[in-house]
Amino acid sequence: MSGDLSLKPSYYEALKRLTIELVGVKLGADHTFLVETRLSALARKEGFEDLPQMIDELFSRGQTRLAIHVVTSLLERATRFFEDRPGYEALGDIILPDLHPLYRGGTLRIMSYGCSSGQEIYSAAILVDTLADLFPNMDIELTGVDYPSEALDRARAGRFTHFEVQRGLPIRHLIKYFDRDGEDWVVKQSLREKITFLDHNLLADIGELGTFQVVMFRGHLGQFTTPAKARILRSLGNLVSANGYLMLGSHENLDDTNFWFKAQAAAPGCYKKRTKQGLIAEPETEPETGTEIEEFPKQPFVPMEYKGSKTV
Amino acid sequence: MASSIQINANKTCLIVDDSKMIRRVASRILRELKFEPSEAGDGREAMELCKAKMPDAILLDWNMPIMDGLSFLKTLRGVEGGAKPVVLFCTAERDVIKIAEALDAGADEYIMKPFDSDILGSKLSEVGLLDQAHL
Repeated sequence: MSGDLSLKPSYYEALKRLTIELVGVKLGADHTFLVETRLSALARKEGFEDLPQMIDELFSRGQTRLAIHVVTSLLERATRFFEDRPGYEALGDIILPDLHPLYRGGTLRIMSYGCSSGQEIYSAAILVDTLADLFPNMDIELTGVDYPSEALDRARAGRFTHFEVQRGLPIRHLIKYFDRDGEDWVVKQSLREKITFLDHNLLADIGELGTFQVVMFRGHLGQFTTPAKARILRSLGNLVSANGYLMLGSHENLDDTNFWFKAQAAAPGCYKKRTKQGLIAEPETEPETGTEIEEFPKQPFVPMEYKGSKTV
Repeated sequence: MASSIQINANKTCLIVDDSKMIRRVASRILRELKFEPSEAGDGREAMELCKAKMPDAILLDWNMPIMDGLSFLKTLRGVEGGAKPVVLFCTAERDVIKIAEALDAGADEYIMKPFDSDILGSKLSEVGLLDQAHL
């Protein structure tokens, strides 16, 4: 198998380390294949001759933007519309009815944390739109954040392939909320303008994002290293407003000892922010660092031994 | 009762398409998804099969000789027991107007060709014939 690979085996180890240091995610064994397919595509798009040339550039210059693009294209998962459907049922049947009396006359904010190519937040937007009559006098703002990446660019454009729009999206939603454009389907402007997409380092403090009544962070938790998980949960603790909800995947759980959130028996994977009185201890609200996306570690991920431009 | 031995019988799905290749591919995917497929090459043949025994689901092409998919669907929905089968159009037609026309005529879901097992599984779960856990 290694005979088919264009990169030195040591580069795979270096990419693994890069991914842990930059975004706190451990690459699995199956990523060797992704390195070849996805990164070759990225190398072409970034104007390199081939994959080894891009990786050489990455590890010799340690350019942050390139590093983030490499890592995000390695980590991008195939997401589908209305994936893990029980979560959307919980949003419509439990969470929104619970929050509506509190936010009637105001604005409810929903966030997809780690929104990738946008299927999750667009699905939430569609759900909210179809249920609008049940929750009158309440504006809903939707936001998707992720590392700057090709996936996030696609989310912003709201453009999906023939195959993507047929996975999880009911046909009636397709013809109501999308316009056909050649082979692709593009989310209608009226839906797209309800959603804001922002670049954000998921491990950083919430910075200017503000607080949200619903934060969707579904299907991500398992991939993070323990320290990264702790940082993310702290960010999520700050991101979810009082009375707000954190939505994990319907099969995911938080450790019972977490300070911030209380499990909701009726909605698997959904957690409600604890009120102050309910807290076991006052959580630390002080940000660890003022990390912004521009302030990714600039050098530490460059493994010294890979400097130079030799290729196999 | 003879039917009592069939309590756990697989759901039936009639594939209506004039392309033998498409019928073969769809049959294979449906079998993998634990459906029991049957095939018809045009709307009239499909109608005869339905009158003999209504399937649980119908995968329906649009453009076919003798009787096309839309005419078949309109006829089906008018006959006794014809409201029962879940109908998924499965066609190369991607025009929104055409899709809306199919839905108005009583289609439950709509698959645009080309499709794969993931799409077919996703659409079958959409209409409640397949547990999401299959995906």
